[in-house]
Amino acid sequence: MMFVLRMAWRETRTSWARLGFFFLCVGLGVASIIVLRSVVQDVRITLMREARSLLGADIVVQTQRPWTPELRAQIGSLLEAVPPRNQTEVVDTQTMAASVGATSGGQVKLVELRGVEQAFPFYGTIDLTSGPYSHDLLEDRGAVVQPELLSALDVKLGDRILLAGQPFTVRGVIARDRSQRGGGIAFGPRVYVDLAALRQTSMLAYGSRVSNQLLLQLSSDSQVTVATESLRQALRNQLVSVRSWQTLEDRIGRSLSTAENYLSLVGFAIVVLGGIGVRSVTRVIVRQKIRSVAILKCLGVSSGQVLTIYLIQVLGLAALGSLVGLALSVIALQAIPTSVLIPLGLTSVGVTWASAVQGITVGLLVSALFAAVPLLEIRGVKPLLLLRADGASTSRRDPWTWTAGVLISAALAAVAVWQADSVRAGAYISGGLLVVTSVLYLCSLVLVRLTRPLQSSRSFALRHAAVSLARPGNQTRVILISVGLGCFVVVGVRATEQDLLREMSAQVGESSPDLVLIDIQEDQVGSLGNTIGAYLRSPARITPLMRGRVVQVDGRRVQLPTLEAVREHGKLVREFGLTFRDHLESNEHIVSGAFWSSASNDPPGEPVEVSVEERMATEARLSVGDTMRFDIAGMPVRGRVTSIRAVAWDDTQNGGFVFVLRPGAAVARLPHNYVAFLQVRQTGDDRGELQRAVVRTHPNVSAIDVRDIVASIREVVDNVTVGITIVGLVTLVGGVLILVGAVAMTKFQRLYETAIYRTLGASAGRIAAMMAIEYALIGCLAGALGGAGGAAMSWGLARFLFDIPWQPAPTLMLLAISMTGALVSGVGVAASADVLLRKPLATLAEER
Amino acid sequence: MIEFRDVSRTVPSGTGQLTILHPTSFVVAAGTAVAITGPSGSGKSTMLGLMAGLDAPTTGAIFIGGTEITALSENALARLRGDRIGIIFQFFHLLPSLTAYENVLVPLEIARSKSAAARARALLAEVGLVERSHHYPSQLSGGEQQRVAIARALANDPPILLADEPTGNLDSTTGHQIIELLVNVNRRHGRTLVLVTHDAELASLADEVLLLRDGRVVERREQVRPAPSSA
Repeated sequence: MMFVLRMAWRETRTSWARLGFFFLCVGLGVASIIVLRSVVQDVRITLMREARSLLGADIVVQTQRPWTPELRAQIGSLLEAVPPRNQTEVVDTQTMAASVGATSGGQVKLVELRGVEQAFPFYGTIDLTSGPYSHDLLEDRGAVVQPELLSALDVKLGDRILLAGQPFTVRGVIARDRSQRGGGIAFGPRVYVDLAALRQTSMLAYGSRVSNQLLLQLSSDSQVTVATESLRQALRNQLVSVRSWQTLEDRIGRSLSTAENYLSLVGFAIVVLGGIGVRSVTRVIVRQKIRSVAILKCLGVSSGQVLTIYLIQVLGLAALGSLVGLALSVIALQAIPTSVLIPLGLTSVGVTWASAVQGITVGLLVSALFAAVPLLEIRGVKPLLLLRADGASTSRRDPWTWTAGVLISAALAAVAVWQADSVRAGAYISGGLLVVTSVLYLCSLVLVRLTRPLQSSRSFALRHAAVSLARPGNQTRVILISVGLGCFVVVGVRATEQDLLREMSAQVGESSPDLVLIDIQEDQVGSLGNTIGAYLRSPARITPLMRGRVVQVDGRRVQLPTLEAVREHGKLVREFGLTFRDHLESNEHIVSGAFWSSASNDPPGEPVEVSVEERMATEARLSVGDTMRFDIAGMPVRGRVTSIRAVAWDDTQNGGFVFVLRPGAAVARLPHNYVAFLQVRQTGDDRGELQRAVVRTHPNVSAIDVRDIVASIREVVDNVTVGITIVGLVTLVGGVLILVGAVAMTKFQRLYETAIYRTLGASAGRIAAMMAIEYALIGCLAGALGGAGGAAMSWGLARFLFDIPWQPAPTLMLLAISMTGALVSGVGVAASADVLLRKPLATLAEER
Repeated sequence: MIEFRDVSRTVPSGTGQLTILHPTSFVVAAGTAVAITGPSGSGKSTMLGLMAGLDAPTTGAIFIGGTEITALSENALARLRGDRIGIIFQFFHLLPSLTAYENVLVPLEIARSKSAAARARALLAEVGLVERSHHYPSQLSGGEQQRVAIARALANDPPILLADEPTGNLDSTTGHQIIELLVNVNRRHGRTLVLVTHDAELASLADEVLLLRDGRVVERREQVRPAPSSA
């Protein structure tokens, strides 16, 4: 072993200049991993904070029924394994608020009432116009309200209002609420009161629409996962929902999980890029050492010993390179401007121990694995080459090399899945890599064939460039595969980044409504349109709205003959908002059955056609053909399910309804009003003027300002966007540097022939032109193929992993082709500058 | 003793097969010096490569000291070379990343010799290169590199020494020095010496000459060697 170690050291000490590239590749790969992991960890913390603020807690256990002692005891025992740090209760309900003089003709308003305890919220903040929120304001029947209530009831701070007939004093006005969002449409301004005071009223009596929530704060993310799973499993059949941030299913939840997936994907990409660099360098090192290997074998050293010598050398260099990478990552993180970090809620980013250990481990593993295949070529080196050059042929396929190649690929896939933290993401890109590698290999053969006619070109540079592409031991395949794969990864990541950013920007785009008018009567629709039209950026979208409950189902898969059975079934128990229309919205599509295209002409008494949202249909086991009975504001309606409809709930423009009825004479008679989704102009006091005009002309209509909701969504998505952009840039820079190293390494394979060309009288300029053409041809082809593969990968990821629309990126493709061609050509020539300029004899002597 | 029994070597050439050594049998007695001569492409280096176990015959068997080397694995062949065969090449083939001293040290380290350092220094002294022991091959002249190669070949005191055109890449003065060194090695230490050469002077120093043409031994001639040099 000592001999092997000594030889590894001796082989290393005289090759520092060449091995510098190896250092650089490993260092850059490791630095990129450490920087990404450190940034990602901080971005994740920010995302977690955002997500928790959406829930106000780590976990929310929610039920529409009153807590029973048995249920609370069951939850308590389930949490014994992972005891929460804190827990608090929240109750949401709707009630009428009135000014104190309401009984003698004062104002009345439907409000979203929330009863909270001292500990609320665990995460997020409520900012009041007068300063920060404190639960003390709610003591002794205090209330904190949204400003819309003040104008609706014509009251001010300090006045008393009646909630379900009980007096409460307005002690605070909400300026910005980022504590906990309720689900669904808010039907009135939010009012916070003390939970104990709420319980003293009659509002929580049996039959009220109440949401009881238990908010939990735990000590670690792993506890959150464990507790969520255990609570979900145990309470599945008890009409209790359990949510944590990972299970947020709305648009913000999607943005967060999308960001997570993307960050994982980039982790994988960096591993591949680093590996490509290491493979290129190792391949060159091995090629350079073939004669030394033959000599050692001639002197009696076994193949295993020789392999060990170079493996130790590679691992030693990888270890040193990893340390260099660690130093580089510290410098890179220091260089990130504070202005970039502030949106992420950070003031600085440092290297974390976890990311440093992970980066170095991955650096060593990837170096060893990517180096292993070229190192295995050592087995095939025959000592006979010292006597006869043709004896050096290693073209015979060693079955061990193939076997090892397969095993190493599997090991690399495992490392990649570990880095990507997602088997699915790993599988998509592993498959993509395999396909692109095969295509690149085939294309290298085609390129050689296609450029064959150039070998008889009259231009010396062009002729010899074509000859170089096809000569024995050419670099066509090596560069094409290395650069093509690098390009594939970089373009794939960048194209995916563009898709994600476009999607996120669309989610919070200018199309989102920011004011909602409710309680519009049918005969007011026209006049209200005239009143508000002048204040809007786009035409109002006015939708009929009914409130109703399911009271009976006669279906193929589910039979709920009584209201009690519906309650027991659980999934259909709540009150639903229903609408009727003769068309699908742009965020809907039919997955089963057929949607009507006109109003119904059916005579009264026939079942009304109903379209059910897909997820509800699945959960409640409803199918096309089932009949249902609704109770809509006391009026019974018989319906027949004729279609199942998928709804993109995250489309803020269109919202969505679980049940849509076919319009017709029967439906028109049902009690309903209208809701209007508005986009108010941002100039002057348009918003205030619109609201005053509505109050003046249509006093029964209520306005709900959703600017804060839209703003909070935009803020979260903006933060995620910044994170994704930073990570994408790190990948791009790291990728380009590694590719530069990989191309530069190929110069060592052409030292000898360059010196011979010079000896034969070729000028440095002519050789440079020859190299530039050869490298540019390979670079452009690698850019085109890698770019096309990257575009295909981004399509696959958008379609199957992120579930977002995909758009071709022609600019990115053109840039990939031209920049890769220019980069490969420039780097190839620049790296050989010393050989071109120095006396050829020295090179010939060294390379003999 | 080295024995070839009906040894032939055929290699693929284009679409067919090319026989570069036709079935050949001969014995090289222990302690003798044999020169293999012939024009380029006659199969000299192939024969030497087969003798060293660097190549495998297409047919026949080769015995070194009674051991059939054609039945040995690559690793066993490597051990055999390390223990019993020293090889000298026309282009020296020193490890470029090692100094002269380390190049001589390597086979001793492979054989786990306890007195490796002293032995390496003694060998370098024997070939007159003590002063140059810490120079890298690129810092040595051709003759000096070949002397290091000879020292390396002698490191483990092998009973057989194989040399492929040992003077082919050297000027006549330097070549003469190398010839004397090899002859002394053969005669003073009683080693078997097989050398491939075009050099008539070198061939004349052998006990026996094998003349190859087109892969066949066309002449086998024993000769009386001149008296040893005093050098």
